[in-house]
Amino acid sequence: MPLQEIRTAIKPELVDPAGEEVLYEIRSSLGIQSVQRVRTARVFRFEGITPEEAKFLAENLLWEGIFQDYALNRPLITDAAHLLEVAYKPGVMNPEAASLVKAARDLGLAHVQAADSSWEYAFYGTVTAAEVDLITRRLLVNATVQHVVTEKPQTLRLSGPPRPTVTIPLGSMDDRQLMELSRDRLFLSLEEMRLIQDYFRRLGRDPTDCEVEILAQTWSEHCVHKTFKAWLIVDGQKKMPLLKRLQEATREIAHPLVRSAFVDNSGVFAFYDGWAVCGKVETHNSPSAIEPYGGAATGSGGVFRDVMGTGQGARVLASTDIFCFAPPDTPWTDIPPGCLHPHYLLRRVVAGVRDYGNRMGIPTNNGSVHFHPDFRAKPTVIVGAYGILPEDRCRKGTPREGDLVVVIGGRTGRDGIHGATFSSAAMTERTIDVHAQAVQIGHPIEEKRMSDAILAARDRGLIRAITDCGAGGFASAVGEMGAATGALIALDRAPLKYSGLAPWEILLSESQERMVAAVAPEHLDEFMEICRGLNVEATVLGRFTGDRRFRATYNGETVMDLEMSFLHEGLPQRVLQATWNSPVHPEPELAPPAEPEEWAEVYGRVMAHLNVCSREPIIRMYDHGVQGTNALPPLGGVDLDAPNDAAVLTPLPGRPYALVIAHGLNPVLNLIDPYQGGLWAAAEAVANAVAVGADPAEIALIDNFIWPVPDEERLGALDRAVDACVDFSRALRMPFISGKDSLSSTYQTADGLTIRIPPVLCISAFGRLPDVRRTVSADFKHPGSVLVLVGQHNPERMGGSVYYDLHGFLGSRLPETDLTVLPAVLAAVHRAIRRGDVVACHDLSEGGLAVAVAEMAFGGGYGARLTLPDIRPDFFLFNETAGCFVVEMAAGRDPAEVFAGVPYQLIGETTAAPNIAASAGERQLFEIPVGFLKDRWQRPLKEVFGG
Amino acid sequence: MKPPVCVLRTDGTNCDLETAWAFEKCGGAPQLVHVNELRTGSRKLADFGLLVIPGGFSYGDDVHSGKILAVELTSFLREALAGFVSRGRPVLGICNGFQVLVRTGLLPYARIGEIAATLMANDSGRFECRWVRMRVEGESVFTRGLKGRTVTFQAAHGEGKFYAPPETLADIEASGQVAFRYVDRSGAPTAAYPDNPNGSLNAIAGLTDPSGLILGLMPHPERFVETTQHPNWRRGLEGEPDGLALFRNAIRYAREL
Repeated sequence: MPLQEIRTAIKPELVDPAGEEVLYEIRSSLGIQSVQRVRTARVFRFEGITPEEAKFLAENLLWEGIFQDYALNRPLITDAAHLLEVAYKPGVMNPEAASLVKAARDLGLAHVQAADSSWEYAFYGTVTAAEVDLITRRLLVNATVQHVVTEKPQTLRLSGPPRPTVTIPLGSMDDRQLMELSRDRLFLSLEEMRLIQDYFRRLGRDPTDCEVEILAQTWSEHCVHKTFKAWLIVDGQKKMPLLKRLQEATREIAHPLVRSAFVDNSGVFAFYDGWAVCGKVETHNSPSAIEPYGGAATGSGGVFRDVMGTGQGARVLASTDIFCFAPPDTPWTDIPPGCLHPHYLLRRVVAGVRDYGNRMGIPTNNGSVHFHPDFRAKPTVIVGAYGILPEDRCRKGTPREGDLVVVIGGRTGRDGIHGATFSSAAMTERTIDVHAQAVQIGHPIEEKRMSDAILAARDRGLIRAITDCGAGGFASAVGEMGAATGALIALDRAPLKYSGLAPWEILLSESQERMVAAVAPEHLDEFMEICRGLNVEATVLGRFTGDRRFRATYNGETVMDLEMSFLHEGLPQRVLQATWNSPVHPEPELAPPAEPEEWAEVYGRVMAHLNVCSREPIIRMYDHGVQGTNALPPLGGVDLDAPNDAAVLTPLPGRPYALVIAHGLNPVLNLIDPYQGGLWAAAEAVANAVAVGADPAEIALIDNFIWPVPDEERLGALDRAVDACVDFSRALRMPFISGKDSLSSTYQTADGLTIRIPPVLCISAFGRLPDVRRTVSADFKHPGSVLVLVGQHNPERMGGSVYYDLHGFLGSRLPETDLTVLPAVLAAVHRAIRRGDVVACHDLSEGGLAVAVAEMAFGGGYGARLTLPDIRPDFFLFNETAGCFVVEMAAGRDPAEVFAGVPYQLIGETTAAPNIAASAGERQLFEIPVGFLKDRWQRPLKEVFGG
Repeated sequence: MKPPVCVLRTDGTNCDLETAWAFEKCGGAPQLVHVNELRTGSRKLADFGLLVIPGGFSYGDDVHSGKILAVELTSFLREALAGFVSRGRPVLGICNGFQVLVRTGLLPYARIGEIAATLMANDSGRFECRWVRMRVEGESVFTRGLKGRTVTFQAAHGEGKFYAPPETLADIEASGQVAFRYVDRSGAPTAAYPDNPNGSLNAIAGLTDPSGLILGLMPHPERFVETTQHPNWRRGLEGEPDGLALFRNAIRYAREL
């Protein structure tokens, strides 16, 4: 029976918002003016039903006559200049397909075999074929996952012939052959290949493809962090491995609230009333560079599963998003071949994070965006997640011999395996050889119901251990869980998206939305019943054994048999050379602005700097209120558009206990000195948390290093950044409890140019507070309040500042963070907020004091009169020392008493008149309307996102 | 006795816990009920005094927001729903729940299977989260005593534009079924973005059936039942959180049944 096609579109006389959005993009980002109008239509295809049944489906499911037209098996929009259909490539799972089948069956069409959906775009006007081609390539189709449909498909069902397990003749290979094998698919060094060869020679047999693949996966940098675990020789001096330094510091601090550090899928910290909170921050740079929407979405999905797979299962409370891009107005000619434009990347990454978090019902309420031209080859996409779980189920579980290996959630496909792609022409054939897709679209609803099932099973004590199927799929999930016991799994039992996968592909597939649980046999029935009731697929793959081997079968035949000890400990620790030479960046000689007009101009440009300007267009697209826990949103104040420093959540309804979440990073500083840059990031993260009221004695930290491929020099830089984290952690007695490194931020262009993405160190901080009412926001509360700058301010050190950047300089004198002073400053600010001495607080970051005061004024609807000390006024106003705070005192409180013992200075007062004025001695420097600064501050991203 | 509240959930429901908390805080006995449990009959709608369909992305909002769940309810639970309504028990739909009620036909006319209005994609073309002001109008069990007041709730949706053909719109207006209307700073209904966040006709944010027993609205009253949920609670707020009265009214009514 032929496929049935139903098209629906919004009636021509009504607004088509999706079409309007495309039109805006065509005009604003491509500059094409010939398109007058864009209309969109949905295309739905069904297999296995009659035309009459298709009509029934159109009228009861797909079409709403109030605002739409529809057409059955014929075109719907016929009056456009150009019409094209965009669909996911075969093999990319379209999440909507399952809903279409479900609804058709609910409507009585039980025999429907398959369904799919896609979009049609209709262009009106004098648009040329060349323009349509440009629009298609730049805006509508991401060739990694989508294609233009030129021919109606004949079937929607995917299948392929089964592929056998192959033995690799490793024993007889010479070094050249070993490296050829590695280069093609394994990415291991010759030394590592020889280790594998020796192992199988000792066993007296050759390995299967499953065995070689799992070793390559388990020993990959991504999974085993060879660099972070290596001994370093830094400029001739032997130093402890990077990871060990961080872990040692945490061990020595012995913080009483740490429940688990660096051992589980996220770090766990005590909360209140028998609950614990956990946090994990991940990067998803490479997938997001190729397919930003799917890459960012599945990045969120992955980090949510890390939280869900902590202890015996946690509920995800919050999501964070931190991005680095090239400026959105970067000329196309500056974009390396094969890279996507930052304007497109930014919008699509935001959309991916938005759709995954919003759909799963996880508020995204903390984040940032940083811009630097050197991110043009590859963006940095950091996604974090925080969760809550009962304290008595917060320790990492250990499977016992006899426990069952249960896979739950999505099905397994060829996702993420060695990147081969699917030809769209294959779709017209009856039997299709299904190829891989490196990037998936993500299916947040699958993950949400899986989360519901995990929490229900956890509460009934049915989960012994649980982990996410992330990189390495079943291989790494089961391999890690069963490291101490051994495991035996039957790969043919895994539910598949389509037939035709080789056993090794099932083993290594990175299909999203899957987790593995260890369930005791006596709990299996109850576990499966919970999953069934919530529409979650669950399958017993095998069991944890006592033989400390990792074995897999396929239809009864053994396809893998490895000792866990070789898999996990067979790789020798490395010794790596590192070196560090301080780069030299000239310090500019600048004159401070002289006239009020010059001040207004400079102040306005600082506010409009991409690393300072308002993030509102992004923030608005994230649901930050879902779960009802938000007690300090990202934007607040009289017009609900002024930024706050951190998220404050009350995860237990009706109780005052608060979780504070913040982060800090400033990649450009690491170009000057990764040590001071590292301290800055950590100080900024913690200052953000303390600025809203967090207690520095009850904060845990998470590190994320996103670094260029570490040659000696890059490794030397990394060594300094890790030392900064360790020194910070020890000085403040704040433990790192989770972290991640991604060491691949180097891009080689075809003509030999190497672009090293700026090294990024992102520090995330989260902590607890007993009473949410003892927190503050950043907006000014009253006119006539005393303003105080608290902290060790280094106004003469302007290296890496926005102010220098506006003049085209990087500089070399970074604002140093004094670790002997910072702890007392943080404690004083926290105490002041707790006691109610302070009614508003904002920390200094990019743009310095001037930006902090302006943002506080935006929120308050008031102004400020600043009295500057005898220091260069431009440096004083725009210096970016981390760990400093602008504080609005409560009426009648004496700063000398409140901030006794720590550096502080009076800097002026709030005013009813909405102007920011500054004077130095007798001289008034400027008086600028707050509205002028706000307009400058709001404009840049409005232009990127429209509206 | 605490009236039992059926908090209906399915794949992709995600405002269930805070909605349950809002009812619990107001003296109800909320229970989370999966639609599968009603389909299999292991739990029965008739055992509840109140039904709420919370926000979220039921079945991913595929095809149309709330559509797949609406099809499921009209296919399998038509009699149960009709019985529930005919026995005078209140039904509340928030955000995705409102979309479901419109797509089942329960709103605006309590005629199951008869779709008379719709909630379309926002004029802005995108999901947005922002606090909005609304005027309370009409008569419903949920808004008793609130008529004429202006309340502030958070809206968070991508498909919230209320749209109906002119004659339906006129009829809804004439019979006083508009329950919430987006208003500007001065308190006047508005078509202007962002005070009207989605381009809803006649600034309609929520409406009832003719009996006032069924209420649907796009913004989230359950996100404002604690003072600290408001973005500016630190600037000083007067009175109780705006969302509370709605849930309290519903519980009071259900208790009297």
